[in-house]
Amino acid sequence: MTSATLPPPRPTRRLLRARILTLIRAGAALIVSLMFFAPIYWMVLTAFKSGNEAFNATPSLIVWPDFGNFSLVLTQSNFGLALSTSLFVATTSTVFCLILGASIAYPLARIKMRGQKHIAFWILSLRIIPPIAVIIPLFLLLRSVGLTGSIWSLVIVYTYMNLPLTVWLLRGFFADLPAEIEEASFVDGAGRFRTFIGVTLPLTAPGFIATALLCFIFAWNEFLFANILTGAATRTAPVGLTEYVTPVSVEWNKIMAAGTLVVLPVWIGALAAQRYLVRGLTLGAVK
Amino acid sequence: MSDSISTITRGSHHRSRRDGWTWFARRYGALLPMAPGMLFLVLMSIYPTVYSLVISLFRWNLSDPTRMRFGGWHNYGLLLTDATFWNAVIVTFKFVTIAVSLELVLGLAIALLFFQRFPGDRFLRAILILPMVVAPVVVGLLSRYMLNVQFGIVTFVTEALGFGRVDFFGEPDLALGTLIVIDIWQWTPFMFLIMLAALQGVPEDIIEAAKVDGARPVRILFDHILHLIRYPVAVAVALRLIDAFRVYDIIFMTTRGGPIDVTQTLSWQIYDAGFKSLDIGYAAAYSWLMLIIVVVTVTLVLRLLLNEQASR
Repeated sequence: MTSATLPPPRPTRRLLRARILTLIRAGAALIVSLMFFAPIYWMVLTAFKSGNEAFNATPSLIVWPDFGNFSLVLTQSNFGLALSTSLFVATTSTVFCLILGASIAYPLARIKMRGQKHIAFWILSLRIIPPIAVIIPLFLLLRSVGLTGSIWSLVIVYTYMNLPLTVWLLRGFFADLPAEIEEASFVDGAGRFRTFIGVTLPLTAPGFIATALLCFIFAWNEFLFANILTGAATRTAPVGLTEYVTPVSVEWNKIMAAGTLVVLPVWIGALAAQRYLVRGLTLGAVK
Repeated sequence: MSDSISTITRGSHHRSRRDGWTWFARRYGALLPMAPGMLFLVLMSIYPTVYSLVISLFRWNLSDPTRMRFGGWHNYGLLLTDATFWNAVIVTFKFVTIAVSLELVLGLAIALLFFQRFPGDRFLRAILILPMVVAPVVVGLLSRYMLNVQFGIVTFVTEALGFGRVDFFGEPDLALGTLIVIDIWQWTPFMFLIMLAALQGVPEDIIEAAKVDGARPVRILFDHILHLIRYPVAVAVALRLIDAFRVYDIIFMTTRGGPIDVTQTLSWQIYDAGFKSLDIGYAAAYSWLMLIIVVVTVTLVLRLLLNEQASR
């Protein structure tokens, strides 16, 4: 008891200094985070405001939540349709990506052959081509087969866009799985395909889910191709957003409500995939 | 030769052509699943690039489909002597270099704040991730709303601070800088995440050894850590460069290349030439020049980052 009341001189001072330093770091981190969060807060806040509040010269920082804007956005315009189009396009292209991607990535990770690295790097190099540089020939190609204005043109383009990422990510996840685990299944008499479905797939499921979330996010947010390849009935959500801004009336509270609806699913996905985000964003280069 | 040996060892009772086939299936059968995906990738990448190379050699405007004439290097010559092309090159390079380098420095600085754990760091990290995944179209709209000269929150702040009303997108001196700030807001979190992962991968004993030697934290950072994380830094910078060159969505939602030509980037001008002027031969040549610019820049920056750091 007495030793607790008598402060041992040097260690506590050092401890105190460390505590203060941690406090300063935490404070700085908090300020930085708030600066990055502020615009997002403002968007979500505006989504809950009435028309007058949105144009108020003196901004109000807190409002009573009113979901009116959201229901107006979803019912009084085609935006609900645009959201479901986006959902369909992003989900379908993600599924295609995973199937095609896994069937390329698995042999790349497991089978030793000459030129394997070249194939992998060729796939990676596709990532460097700016979309704007290929959009004209792609547009002409899709038009010649009558797919412009169709949802499927976007599914095809997004599958292509996300396939290099998928291959590289899945290749890394497959390579992380020790080959011995699969060999045990071979010994039991299972073929490659059955081993893949029964052993490899369940064990790499978190990697698959993270990859799927990233593919979904990129397809969901894409605008350039969507703007050029969709018609009036097949608009995706980002394209639908641009139509809210007309020279006649700009209803910012509704635009921000629509924007929030576009961003919300992606936020949930990104937070769910947080652990794999770094790996995913660097195509597996940084873990 | 190898054919007959493998037949004997496997004790196959089929002969002649069948053997060739089983040998092939044994050797390459496992690669067969790759075929559909690879075919798709080859088709979708080779076709557009070759096609755009071909049409870049033609004088072809879609508004006048009857007149598609071979022009040789005409479009390229036109571009390389065009002041608007060089303006776009300069605008794009300003945007890309300033944005990416500031994002790298800021990202690293924030990562250093988060390097040692503190209560609530996971929560703040989750918040910091959010800007990165906001659709660029939404970012464009949000910035237009916040920077609106009449009722925007930023205008409210600038007026309160005594700067008066500032038209961030309309002022020729400010428009590009505003776009850069928006890009920094959205993509610094990306750099932060990668830098944080990179820092956490640095072996602790190296830092401890430097501390024992009496090195100051700043020296440890510059002498040891930066060298050790050069590979993740190079990856992050390369990916950011590739994406920054593409900047389009935000310009579409805000300045549309203006005021005058201060935000006319390469992407924007290709879009303009191809889908507004319908001059697709010219746009295709433009695309090829842009592709070359991006590839050369990214390669040079990667070389610079990996070699310079390695020679220390």
